[in-house]
Amino acid sequence: MPSKLWAVVRREYLERVRTKAFIIATVLGPILMGGIIVVPVALMGRGAKLLRVAVVDASGTLQAEVEEALRSARRDERPRFDVQPSGDGTAEARPSALKDAVLRGRLDGYLFLPEDTLDGSLATYYGRTVSNRMDLDLMRWRVNDVVVAHRVARAGLDAEEVKELTQSLELRTVRLSEEGEKEDRGVVGMLFAVILLGILYTSILMWGQVVMTSIIEEKGSRVIEVVASGVTPMFLLAGKLLGVGAAGLTQFLVWSLSLLGVSLAAVGPLAAGLTMPEITPLILASFLAFFLLGFAFYATLYAAIGSAVNTVQEAQNFVFPVIMPLILGFVCFLPVIESPDGALAVTLSLIPFLTPLLMFLRIVVLTPPWWQIALSLVLTGAAIWGALWAAARIYRVGILMYGKKPTFPELVRWVRHA
Amino acid sequence: MSDQALVLRGVTKAFAGHVAVKELSLEVPRGSVFGLLGPNGAGKTTTLRMVMNILGVDAGSIEILGHPADHATRDRIGYMPEERGLYPRMVLEEQLTFMASIKGVPRKTAAERMGPWLERLGLADWRRRKTNELSKGMQQKAQFIATVLHEPDVLIMDEPMSGLDPVGMDVMRDVMVDLSRRGITIVLSSHQMDTVEKLCDRVALINKGGKVLDGKVTEVKAAHGENTLVLAFDGDGSFLGSLPGVANVSDFGQYVEIRMSDGADPQVVLKEATARLRVRRFEIVVPSLHDIFVKTVTADGGEAA
Repeated sequence: MPSKLWAVVRREYLERVRTKAFIIATVLGPILMGGIIVVPVALMGRGAKLLRVAVVDASGTLQAEVEEALRSARRDERPRFDVQPSGDGTAEARPSALKDAVLRGRLDGYLFLPEDTLDGSLATYYGRTVSNRMDLDLMRWRVNDVVVAHRVARAGLDAEEVKELTQSLELRTVRLSEEGEKEDRGVVGMLFAVILLGILYTSILMWGQVVMTSIIEEKGSRVIEVVASGVTPMFLLAGKLLGVGAAGLTQFLVWSLSLLGVSLAAVGPLAAGLTMPEITPLILASFLAFFLLGFAFYATLYAAIGSAVNTVQEAQNFVFPVIMPLILGFVCFLPVIESPDGALAVTLSLIPFLTPLLMFLRIVVLTPPWWQIALSLVLTGAAIWGALWAAARIYRVGILMYGKKPTFPELVRWVRHA
Repeated sequence: MSDQALVLRGVTKAFAGHVAVKELSLEVPRGSVFGLLGPNGAGKTTTLRMVMNILGVDAGSIEILGHPADHATRDRIGYMPEERGLYPRMVLEEQLTFMASIKGVPRKTAAERMGPWLERLGLADWRRRKTNELSKGMQQKAQFIATVLHEPDVLIMDEPMSGLDPVGMDVMRDVMVDLSRRGITIVLSSHQMDTVEKLCDRVALINKGGKVLDGKVTEVKAAHGENTLVLAFDGDGSFLGSLPGVANVSDFGQYVEIRMSDGADPQVVLKEATARLRVRRFEIVVPSLHDIFVKTVTADGGEAA
């Protein structure tokens, strides 16, 4: 019998792996992923070009100093602003020409300092793009420094002394874990966690769907009874899950390793100023493990659906309640990432059908206690066993049923009487 | 070694709501060509599925080649179900290798064996093509090779001729006769009576899940007596049905087939016919399986297919 199981696994594996879709997705996946991770980092780090800005000072005292402050402003040790002359004429007349220049693309934007800048608290930046928060924050701080220095001087105080006294406090964040202290990865770390979660979610969903459609095809082409006369339905189901699972794992491995490669490569040249997220062996191992667990659970349910219906269209009604929990798990990422050790996150990550996504997410953002990981594995394992038990019964009946789509109570009866 | 290829004892199977097979007992001798007959819904397919363990039995037992049915004995059977098909995107030779390997034949052995079969059925040039590139007829031949490639001792075929064109039917019949001569037991399930009549030496008729008739074809026919006559004539034959001793008249256009009730004398019909019609042909014939089938099933209270 094991040689028959092997024959089924082999057939399933080769049938998936030899398709063009598989090859394209396997190769293209890492390229896309690389793009998603590397490009923004590269852009944030150095890629963006200088912002061409002009300064219009209606107060009449700040022009030169503000221009100089912007010219010398640095982010990640690189200048950000290319300060252009603001033209001739009065402070009231110049903006219209500058506005024109911005709209024509000769300038990215201009800063308007009103007459009461030194007494008030408002300056205005006009630009084609105003969503570049990091650059605009930099502009605000630099201009603020100049204005505050002027006010301090006007009040007859020593500028250096005041600067020292009012120096603001930075808050550095350090993540503690069993593996030692780590600088927090901040936004990039969170982005990274969500990308991994997205890959996990998509892969589980996609490969589960493959199992379902392939069973529907076997029913449609009427080959299933021929095969069932040689292999028991249980072995047939097991062979399908193992074969398709192996194909999924192949793709997943290629993706994971290229992800690892990208992140290693990115640590060097690209990461200037930005801490690239770090992929620990634990994260990599749990990435693979939770893919397999999630696949085993969801693909089993998909298999049950596939064997019960006649067409992919008919399957839709059944599919939704099955993937609901998976979608729920994906949507829950925010509360879990916000407070990965909170009661809510711990509870959710222990629910078997959420575990593959949420326990993984918790492992990425912090290292949960070992007993929690172990418990989640045990619970998910039990859930997979239960799903297999029910699916095998539905499968055994379903593969011989053509015609009418069964109702949910009928499915329950198949499970009870098989 | 048992001389029975297949023995069913009191096999019963119920689905939600109805009993599909009811205490069915059958014996298929080794080397026979056995016809399993019955109207639609009689339980033929369910019975064969139980033999192949695709369905479990509720009660009773099944023996294959003298052993209780298990995975090993089932590998000795080649099964072509009524609902059959092939993997559409698989290359033909891989398909055949796979089908043999799930019957326990090593891949290498299967690859060696398929050559002669592909030659004989005219598929040799197609062995590296995908199944969905093959014509319907070629797919059916491929299906047959998939059924016999593991060299079974027993061949079970559910409606083997359905969907075949006349050429395909002839090829299939030739191959079956050939396999039968080599000592392979063949079980045909069908309601195509002429096929069964030509090929089978034994039949069993089941109706509503139970056996109503079985035995050698010659014996079954003898038991139903020489009470059928064929009459071809010119004129109005509508009075024939009301003659004494006539049980049933089937009008085939060119001739009528008259079944007499038991013990009635066909000569009465001849006498009346020559008196009132211009008779072109009169013949007392052995009843066809078709007639026996219809008569038995109707008497059993079922609908004839």
